[in-house]
Amino acid sequence: MKPELNKDITDQELLDRFYADKNNEWLGLLLQRYTLLLLGVCMKYLKNEEEAKDAVQQVFLKVIQELHKYKVAYFKSWLYMVAKNHCLMRLREKQGKITAELNEKLTAQPHEETDTQNLLNNDRTLDLMEAALKELNPEQRQCVTLFYLEKKSYQDVSEETGFSLLQVKSYIQNGKRNLKILIEKKLTDNKGRVPGK
Amino acid sequence: MDEKLKDILSNLSTEVDQETLLQYLQGKLPDDKKHEVEMHLLNSEFEEDAVEGLQAFKDKAQLQYMVDMLNRDLKKKTEKKKLRREKMKIQEQPWLYISLLILLILIIISYIIVRKLLSE
Repeated sequence: MKPELNKDITDQELLDRFYADKNNEWLGLLLQRYTLLLLGVCMKYLKNEEEAKDAVQQVFLKVIQELHKYKVAYFKSWLYMVAKNHCLMRLREKQGKITAELNEKLTAQPHEETDTQNLLNNDRTLDLMEAALKELNPEQRQCVTLFYLEKKSYQDVSEETGFSLLQVKSYIQNGKRNLKILIEKKLTDNKGRVPGK
Repeated sequence: MDEKLKDILSNLSTEVDQETLLQYLQGKLPDDKKHEVEMHLLNSEFEEDAVEGLQAFKDKAQLQYMVDMLNRDLKKKTEKKKLRREKMKIQEQPWLYISLLILLILIIISYIIVRKLLSE
């Protein structure tokens, strides 16, 4: 089959086709989907446009080499880890600092997804959510409400609250995480209680 | 309200393609789409890191050009081996035919010599 860029083909299908015939063109098509993201990640860590472009090319090479050696289950998470590790290594070479490798992230994502789905499938979650929302600190509650319930963009939330864009993002992220923790805690507390007492 | 509350915990937002992300970075998306992209960013560390880095580029209009250049280079890298393999195949074939021909001639000559020796 001739490799062509088709949005209907999933990453996994492209990867399977590569494993079947070892034709690097499949990897070319797969990696093209992530060029912009890789450029962004490399820029975030290296903070230099030229170095970021070089790093993306090196990540491409590394990915092509590694995929010839072994099979990868979660391509996107793995690619992110490869790019991040590459940038951290470059920084370590530059600065002589020891930076931790990030292998643990490779398998973390699917479990986290399952946990959240379990939480969403629980009938009690929505009842508890409203109560939990009230327990957030005022800044987090305001940003989470405007963003998720009123569907406003970061920019709009920033204009309405007077917080900077970075603050808005941080309040939403922390608010979301705290909500999840509060709900999990409430669910555990409720399970522990004996009905009727 | 319930459905919106669910959004807070849901990690199942749709994927954002590169074109949409570029438009987001250039401030060209309408409010609802902008919100959709930001919802996705909150659920994906990869995309979130990437957007943070991409926002640091001085000229965001150049991003598409940079991506095209990187993709062109990637295409060369992934095609090179295949072309080399094909060239090798073309080069390999004449030698194969010549070797077979020589082998055939040798067999015929040996046959003739053996026949001659036996008849003597």
